[in-house]
Amino acid sequence: MQKNIKIITEYWGRIDPLKIEDYLNVGGYVALKKFIKEMNPGKALEEVKLSGLCGRGGAGFLTGKKWEMVAEQKSKEKYFICNLDESEPGVYKDRLIAENSPHLLLEGIIISTLTIGAKKACIYLNGNYEKAREILGQAISQALENNLLGKKILGSEFSLEVEIFSGAGAYVCGEETALINSIEGRRGEPKIRPPYPTECGLFGKPTAVNNAETIANIPYIIQNGGEKYLECATKLFVLGGSIKNRGVIEAPIGLMMREVIFELGGGMSAGKEFWFAQVGGAAGKLYLEKELDAPVLGSGAILVVDKLADIHDLLLSWTGFFRRESCGKCVPCREGTFRLNEIAERLADGEISDRDKEAVLDILWTLENTTFCPLGKFAAVAVRDAVEKLEILK
Amino acid sequence: MQKGITVEKILLECESKAQNLLPTLKKIGVVFGYVSKEDAMKVAEYFELSLARVYEVASFYDLIETKKTANLEIKVCSGGDCVLGDSTGIVHEIENYFRIKAGDENNPKVKLRKISCLGRCGEGPIMIVNGRVYEKVTRSSIYKILEEWA
Repeated sequence: MQKNIKIITEYWGRIDPLKIEDYLNVGGYVALKKFIKEMNPGKALEEVKLSGLCGRGGAGFLTGKKWEMVAEQKSKEKYFICNLDESEPGVYKDRLIAENSPHLLLEGIIISTLTIGAKKACIYLNGNYEKAREILGQAISQALENNLLGKKILGSEFSLEVEIFSGAGAYVCGEETALINSIEGRRGEPKIRPPYPTECGLFGKPTAVNNAETIANIPYIIQNGGEKYLECATKLFVLGGSIKNRGVIEAPIGLMMREVIFELGGGMSAGKEFWFAQVGGAAGKLYLEKELDAPVLGSGAILVVDKLADIHDLLLSWTGFFRRESCGKCVPCREGTFRLNEIAERLADGEISDRDKEAVLDILWTLENTTFCPLGKFAAVAVRDAVEKLEILK
Repeated sequence: MQKGITVEKILLECESKAQNLLPTLKKIGVVFGYVSKEDAMKVAEYFELSLARVYEVASFYDLIETKKTANLEIKVCSGGDCVLGDSTGIVHEIENYFRIKAGDENNPKVKLRKISCLGRCGEGPIMIVNGRVYEKVTRSSIYKILEEWA
């Protein structure tokens, strides 16, 4: 495995994100030119499948497979959506991609959309990401001026429109069917699947929804081939909490948690002692020191918690978050997250009863097994681990 | 509130198709602070949608208010990273200072809310007062910030 290769962060801080010339000077849009002049959608799809690229938003679905499912659909109208809703607490890698390399992301979106046979793409942007909105908006105008977007791209038969749709603050809209509802002017509640968006998505048309980080890898794959990518695939890690090097770091995929925390992350901040790490945001599992020799899963966020941290504050943070963000569509999640948060409050106040202790286990089981969409399952993850590994109820 | 802008003007600026509903409600929220029941009725008429449909969208999203906002709207991030940086302590400090409770929506003068992560974890704890974002806030630095808005 090649170390130190940077696919996404290579030019962060070295080129001006507001200038398309800067990006063109470092080989920007070469992949798009190659796609248009030397390849076709079928060939591009083969390369993406060969690359083994999987979703970087957390679920890890194979990108090539998703695209194939959309490409195979006979509908004339199709859509491509870049999911930049990114509302998972502790995760802000996609925001940094948009702010630091908007053209890399846009090039990825253009190639992706053309590959699946769509003429319209939409960037679903987190409503709080105002700076990213400005930067991406400018990138789209510049790409239009340079005929990298719009009608007859670079003189070819391909035409494409890219729009930005700003969300309005709802975690559940990161879920693809809820996201689609939100664009269509509805409550951001998830829909039953199947049918999957690949078949019946935005406005009932086949739609591919991909995370921004996933898309940012596409230009590299098109330019260098899927096989090459397979050897050097990277992932963005978001390090937070009591760790020396906080922030976003790009590193080879498949690294162990211990390597990421104690090598890349530089270990604990001065004077702090490791207690556990939460991996994957508020919906992430908790790992004790002895469990760190496993690969980092999910969105790549690692929150390092030291021994002096107040576990009650964190429990209130997790349970409060899911209580607020539960969309209310299904009872197990709406009531379960609410009660879990209430019990966390009583636990913090030292007023927890035996009945509460039993109820916690019951609520966790219900969330894990009976909710409509993954949000309910997510709400149980950290609390389950806190009960079993940190023994908060004893 | 911006002068001379009415709900009617905002509506006429956009095509009445459903995907413009959320952006329009957001815009009304930005200009007037919140989407009132009367405004929701105007929106429903313009978009030819039921009032229930408009109101269920307006009330769903965090960035759209459906109740008149307080003079002082304070929000403190309660994400894991900010909490490890003492955002809970900051909330308690503000609660004690104003003698209010976080989450109490009925005080017309000052409202305090714990909010979900804004994706600015590197710069936390994050506090927002009447829309302005403050970074790296501490229990003691809040007083200077609140003075700006007194």
